[in-house]
Amino acid sequence: MLDEYERLEAELLAFIRADRGEFNSLALAVHRFQRQWNRPFANFCAAHAEPRDWREIPAAPQSAFKHFALSVAPPELITKTFHTSGTTGEGFGRHAFVNTRLYDEAVRAGWARLGVPKLPHFALVPRPAEAPHSSLSHMMSALEPLASETHWFIDARGHLRGELAEALRDAERNEKSVALLGTALAFLNMFEKFAGEKFRLARGSFAMETGGYKGSGRDIPKSELYARFGETLDLAPDAVFNEYGMTELSSQFYTRGLGRPHEGPPWVRAVVFDPETGAEVAIGGAGVLRIFDLANLASVLAIETQDLAIRRERGFELLGRDPGALPRGCSRLADERMRVS
Amino acid sequence: MNTEERAAHLAAAIAHFPWLGETTATDLLALLTAELGDPQVLENFRWHGKHLSRAVAPAVILHIISGNTPAAGLQSLIRGLLLGSHNLCKLPAAGLPELLQFRDALPPELAARVGLATHLPAEWIERAEAVIVFGNDETVRQFRSLARPEQAFVGHGHKLSFGIVFDDPKLASVPGAARDASIFDQLGCLSPHVFYIAGDAFSYAIRLADEMEKFDAREPRRALSIAEANAVRNRRAELAFRAANDKRIAVLQSAGTTSWTVVFDATPEFPRSPLNRFVFVKPLPADLAAELAPVRRHLGAIGMWTPSIENARKLAALGASRLCPIGRMQLTPWTWHQDGQPALTPLVRWVDFEADDRVTR
Repeated sequence: MLDEYERLEAELLAFIRADRGEFNSLALAVHRFQRQWNRPFANFCAAHAEPRDWREIPAAPQSAFKHFALSVAPPELITKTFHTSGTTGEGFGRHAFVNTRLYDEAVRAGWARLGVPKLPHFALVPRPAEAPHSSLSHMMSALEPLASETHWFIDARGHLRGELAEALRDAERNEKSVALLGTALAFLNMFEKFAGEKFRLARGSFAMETGGYKGSGRDIPKSELYARFGETLDLAPDAVFNEYGMTELSSQFYTRGLGRPHEGPPWVRAVVFDPETGAEVAIGGAGVLRIFDLANLASVLAIETQDLAIRRERGFELLGRDPGALPRGCSRLADERMRVS
Repeated sequence: MNTEERAAHLAAAIAHFPWLGETTATDLLALLTAELGDPQVLENFRWHGKHLSRAVAPAVILHIISGNTPAAGLQSLIRGLLLGSHNLCKLPAAGLPELLQFRDALPPELAARVGLATHLPAEWIERAEAVIVFGNDETVRQFRSLARPEQAFVGHGHKLSFGIVFDDPKLASVPGAARDASIFDQLGCLSPHVFYIAGDAFSYAIRLADEMEKFDAREPRRALSIAEANAVRNRRAELAFRAANDKRIAVLQSAGTTSWTVVFDATPEFPRSPLNRFVFVKPLPADLAAELAPVRRHLGAIGMWTPSIENARKLAALGASRLCPIGRMQLTPWTWHQDGQPALTPLVRWVDFEADDRVTR
């Protein structure tokens, strides 16, 4: 298993680093490998014909990560495991890795494609040592070579560190561009903490937000969140990136500012399909996202998400987590927060 | 218009909505008798022990109606009209055309006692003497906190229903089970999420799948939103993945659509359906009460087969408030205790008249 893993890993690293290779043949090779070694996935595939094209590769539902060890490797070969947040009350999912070489390379190569300058990174996530199962903390750590320096501003308890204000003030004073990276929820908490304060970040500064407001019971429209980036940090919407990723994947999709679709690098593809028929929707049509991520070598490359999106000419426009996928009982469907007019 | 006339007009209007069940004016008056002791008590003093009493209906009832099915909202409105109250109905944003159609089927004098809106005017809460809320727990809590102390308040939170088949070797209950799980596209509080089977649960699941298919051919489900279809598809995918790795699970489903799904599932835990004709079949566990414990406070109806008093006794303490035959889960009698509570008693106020000795019985 390990020999084959390393052979495929080398091919995938070449594809990620230098665009050497071809998506379809790599996808089919990775799938064959996973079908052979990932036992729960192999059982699932038994009911599916051998794919002839990457689009035919059976996609594991995201929830399968909660029920099964979806790995090509036995437990003794696993060196890293990320946990999902488990916000739906059904426990959390686990994504296991033989090593993080591919993951880290995919993170960095995807980031490099954004064309952003090498700046100090202000990470609004805990350090990896304090959150060893957080894929986001690991991702920020993987980006360290692409930052001039990295500072961590969330403590082990998940609270914003007091030093952030001083660090921002310092950057403003010295006209030093910085990059802030964190979850949308962390930014929202930061904006509330700094209510009334304004930091005029130097030109070239930017932010990357991700992850929504999972489990917090809070939600604000993206346009409103981006307005707060302007109010508090003096960042225009176009200086803010959104990352679409998940613990179950190894690669990321990005969009910049408002009203643009998410796009991924060449080693990851998204298909928007009609949940009624399973067929891919036409451009402009809405459906469910299925992701094919070659960097997911040690688990499963095709994942059926619970997220809705509109297919665009390039990439997709995210509509968000499907409310229908949440557990519910009677009356939930059309239950609205009642507003007294 | 007196109580009997209202009952007659309401029964005539209900006849246009067969899914409410066959209803006569006598059935509606029986509800008044069952809960208030006498249908005349809304108009006249009646003896109540050693004194006289008269029931006074709320002048205005506010109904907050969720959009799952029209049945619960319509029943609530009908009960309010039977009492003679003015009824303000806050509908879900998408509206509920059935309530509009019902109002149109009423004579003008009764129709004038029905207000319908998809938003909630602030003065409606002010005007209401009684508030009835259908919704999830959060919605019920929200309105309960808004209610004034003297306002009567009735909250109907979300409920989970299921069926139990104790003894059905010939699978005679299966068509009724398919009907219960298909009608209103399974969106109602009385729609079963699961059928527990004593005996061969797998054979029951296969037959139920056949009947779901037949029901769908006769009465196709409405088109789903993408989010709803995704909920069905996602759950199917999750269960298909588990089924491939666990022989205790099997998924039977409509081909090429999400129209219906039957899941045989012999793993422990009460399963929640994503609704829209997606039902589980499980072997009856040795300790049903333990399986139901996590959802006990949300239990609604239990459909049972056979519907014998012996079987009812076995189920009475499980936490559900309604035990009925499989095949009739969506068809409630007008006298039913929704969520285990009387429907009219919490709404009316009583006026007692302690007569002097010259008044004789």
